[in-house]
Amino acid sequence: MKLKMILLLTCVCAVSAFLLAWVYGITEPKIRQDIAKKTNLYLMEVAFPKGEEYKLSDKDTILWVACDSAGKIVGSAKFELTIPGTLWTIFDTTQNKMGIAFKVWPKGYGGAIETLVGLGMDTVLTGIRTVTPAEGLRETPGLGIKVTALWFKHQFIGKKEQDVLLKKDGGALDAITAATISSRAVAKGVQKGISEYKEYLSSQATELPSD
Amino acid sequence: MGKYFSEGIIKNNPVLVLMLGLCPTLAVSTTAFNSLGMGVAVIFVLALSNVTISIIRKIVPDAVRIPVFIVIISTFVTVIEYVLHAFLPDLYSQLGIFVPLIVVNCIILGRAEAFASKNGFFASLLDGIGTGIGFTFAIFLMGAIREIFGSGKLFGYTVFGAEFVKAPVLYMILPPGGFLVIAFLIGMMNWIRQRKGKTKNSIQI
Repeated sequence: MKLKMILLLTCVCAVSAFLLAWVYGITEPKIRQDIAKKTNLYLMEVAFPKGEEYKLSDKDTILWVACDSAGKIVGSAKFELTIPGTLWTIFDTTQNKMGIAFKVWPKGYGGAIETLVGLGMDTVLTGIRTVTPAEGLRETPGLGIKVTALWFKHQFIGKKEQDVLLKKDGGALDAITAATISSRAVAKGVQKGISEYKEYLSSQATELPSD
Repeated sequence: MGKYFSEGIIKNNPVLVLMLGLCPTLAVSTTAFNSLGMGVAVIFVLALSNVTISIIRKIVPDAVRIPVFIVIISTFVTVIEYVLHAFLPDLYSQLGIFVPLIVVNCIILGRAEAFASKNGFFASLLDGIGTGIGFTFAIFLMGAIREIFGSGKLFGYTVFGAEFVKAPVLYMILPPGGFLVIAFLIGMMNWIRQRKGKTKNSIQI
C-alpha cells in the first residue's frame, strides 16, 4: 500500500514535469521574445518619455525609434546590458553613449515599487517608469497606484539629483494626494539610484559590443 | 446531466452560496476586465483539473489524494500561464500576477474533492465548466459594481459623466468596498433563494 502511494505520487509528478517541459519548450522562445520586446519598450519609454509610439527600426535589428503622434521619428537608441537585470547603457545611431538606464526597488506602502530610471550624460533624468499593478505593483488602488500616472512620472524629466525629492522634503516634486509614502519612496529610490549608478556614465564601455 | 452544469451557476454558486474562493474574488475584482480575465482562466483550469481527476480517481489512494490534486492543479495553472504569456501577451500583461493565484483558489480543490473524485468524466467536465461560469458570474458582477462606483467607468468607458470620474467613490475600489459589495450580493442571493423556497413551500438557507 505504501509502495503504491509512493509510486503513484512519483508518476503524477513525472507526468506533470514532462507536460510542463513540453509546454515550456513550445512557449519559451515566444515568452523570451515578449520579455525582450517589453524591456526595450520600457527602456525607450524612459529614454524618450514624450514619444507616442516605440518600435524597432526597419533598417536595423537592434535600433529602436520613438515616434510622435504624427509618426515622425523623434529619437532613436540602442541598448546594451551592463549589469544583468539592473543596468543598461544607451547608445545613439552613431554609437555615441547617450546615457544609462537602471532599475531601483524602493520600498513603498505595499512592497517594493520597481522603477526604471533613465539618466542622460549630463546626470539629468530623461524619464522614469514604475511597474503596473499586473507586473507586481502592490500599492493601494486609487491612491499609491497613481505612481504610474503620467503627470507623476513626467515631473521627474529634466531633474537633477538634488531636486529629486518631494517639495515637503526640500525637492521639486509634487506628491500624490493622500499617498505621500508611495511618492516619497519613488523619489528617494530614484535619487539613491542616481548617486549609486552615475559613475557608469563616465566609466568604461564607450564602444558598442558585437551585435 | 444538464443539472451538473446548471447547479454551479446559481443554485450552488461557488462564491455567493458555497462561500468558496472569496479571497481571489475580493482581491481581483477591482475592474470588470480583470474579473472577466480571472474568471475565464478559472473556467479553463477547473474544467481541465476536474476531468483529469475524474479519470484517475479510481487509482489514487485516499491518503495521497490531496497532494495529487494539488500537483495536477498547479500543473494546469502553470500551463495556462505559459500559454497566455506566449500567445496572448497583452491579456497576460493585464492579468500577470493574478494567474498564479488560481492555484490557491479553493473552488478548484473543493470541486476536485467534493465532485470530480466521485463522479465520471462527463459529469466532472460539466460540473467544472458550470462552477467556473458561476465563479465568473459572481466575480464579474463584483468587478463591474466596484468599477462603476469606484472609478465611474465600466470597461474603461465613462458611466456617470466626467464630473463623477474626477471624484468617484474611491472606497469601493479599496478592500472595504470589496467586503461591502460581496455582503450585498450574498444578501441578495439569500433573499432570492428564500423567496423561491417560499413559493415551493420549503424554506432553506
